[in-house]
Amino acid sequence: MQEPAQIVVDHISHLYRPPRGREVLALDAVSLEVRRSEFIALLGPSGCGKSTLLYLIGGFLPVEKGDIRIDGKAVAGPGPDRGIVFQHFALFPWKTVRGNVLYGLERQGMPKAEREKRAMEYIELVGLHGFEDSYPSQLSGGMKQRAAIARTLAFDPKILLMDEPFGALDAQTRGLMQMELLRIWQRTPKTVIFVTHDVQEAVLLSDRVAVMTARPGRIKTIVDTKFDKNDPDIFKNKFFVEKVDEIWNLVKDEAIKAQGKRSA
Amino acid sequence: MSNDTQTPRDGVPEMLGRLAWQLAWGFARIFSIVALLAVWEILARTGTFTPFQLPALSAVLERIWSDAVSGDLAINAGLTLYRALTGFAICAVLGIAIGMAMSRNAVANWFFDPIVSVGFPMPKIAFLPVVILWLGVYDTAKITMIVVDAIFPVIAATVIAIQGVERELIWSARNMGASKRELLHQVILPAASPQIMTGLQVSLPLCLIVAVVAEMLMGGYGLGGAMITAAQFANSTSVFAGIVEIAVIGYVLIKIMVLIRRRLLLWHPEANAPATA
Repeated sequence: MQEPAQIVVDHISHLYRPPRGREVLALDAVSLEVRRSEFIALLGPSGCGKSTLLYLIGGFLPVEKGDIRIDGKAVAGPGPDRGIVFQHFALFPWKTVRGNVLYGLERQGMPKAEREKRAMEYIELVGLHGFEDSYPSQLSGGMKQRAAIARTLAFDPKILLMDEPFGALDAQTRGLMQMELLRIWQRTPKTVIFVTHDVQEAVLLSDRVAVMTARPGRIKTIVDTKFDKNDPDIFKNKFFVEKVDEIWNLVKDEAIKAQGKRSA
Repeated sequence: MSNDTQTPRDGVPEMLGRLAWQLAWGFARIFSIVALLAVWEILARTGTFTPFQLPALSAVLERIWSDAVSGDLAINAGLTLYRALTGFAICAVLGIAIGMAMSRNAVANWFFDPIVSVGFPMPKIAFLPVVILWLGVYDTAKITMIVVDAIFPVIAATVIAIQGVERELIWSARNMGASKRELLHQVILPAASPQIMTGLQVSLPLCLIVAVVAEMLMGGYGLGGAMITAAQFANSTSVFAGIVEIAVIGYVLIKIMVLIRRRLLLWHPEANAPATA
């Protein structure tokens, strides 16, 4: 650890207040450090607060207790240094793919010729060439998520926050998108925080996997999962299989606990 | 949309075939209306009803034609349309503005919410005597009556539409650097536009209905006023002519709104869906 961490999450607690009913402790004194250009997965059962943690880092929810710093600076609101990708894409449905990608570049005041060129570059990077004038409603789920990823990458955030980005896709599309994301990440290395409840996905993509407990969310363990991701037989890779098994055993208890709480 | 890409083979038999098919389909879609009109004509001609009770459709159409030639139709229909559409424009601008204020501002919501809750379901026509007392019986009074009646669906639709805008959509825009101001017209309004449009589509026929009712009750020119005058002279052909004219105008207005909606919401999945007659 020669270089100081890029993202420091320091004893973050967060209360979730539903419109009706009692407030719930979603996160309980969570601490986490993420290094520059690292790919880290937040893994846990549903309702464990992993998305909440991502939204706090993104600045979309106010930090109430604890501290989040990016490059030493406390997070105060959203900013283009952290780009987010949502599970349900959140594309602007009234804009074409190109219009969606251009939006962020326009907000940054990039000159017209430059942003047009840049938008096309990223549309091509995610393999949507030929669909730049399509509206989101005309695209499949996988294509929508490609468009959303292009939109976020285009404004060049240092940090990529991904909130179960492939959770709404069918299994085959998900597999392809995982490969695609690895390819893009290897080309444009960014710090990625990737929220998922899929153990294989977490091990496949990330350098480290932070396993979270059932509610209230805490970090249970962090498992090192760095290995050669370019192995063509990655699913038979011994290291991969062992890590999936190890992490599955860690997360299984929490999933059972989460189930129990729901039915109680 | 997909029909545009098909290239039809252009021989005369194919063209005639397509034309016949389109005519048949067009007729099938309006069959119930045609049947109703036919029954009307038959009942009137066979003497089941007296011409005073039910003048024949053909006589009514003749009356409409002569009113059109004399210019009365243009004056009456023009005035009714002017009042209905002016009222509609005010409903649209004011209704969307109030709805936006209510969703963005707690004070505005605190003030308007009870008014909308009480005002929406109540029969606003009950205010008519008050409106006459305050504003007289001319255009101002009639248009006021229209706005009082038809603004509620626009307000309600705007509030519900803005409440329904996905949190992620707003977050995405904030993430890309949109300011609070930009957020409103670049994200919230476009995202809410399909439902706001639905509110406007409910409001427009209301505007026409209230315009005609207000004209009937306040008198003067306009389709409603002309019908009441005709009724007072026991001129049932002109009364029925008014009914047919109002029906046609209402239908055309609604159709125009559907076209505008399709044009504005080209991006929406519904733009590719078939419409009703």
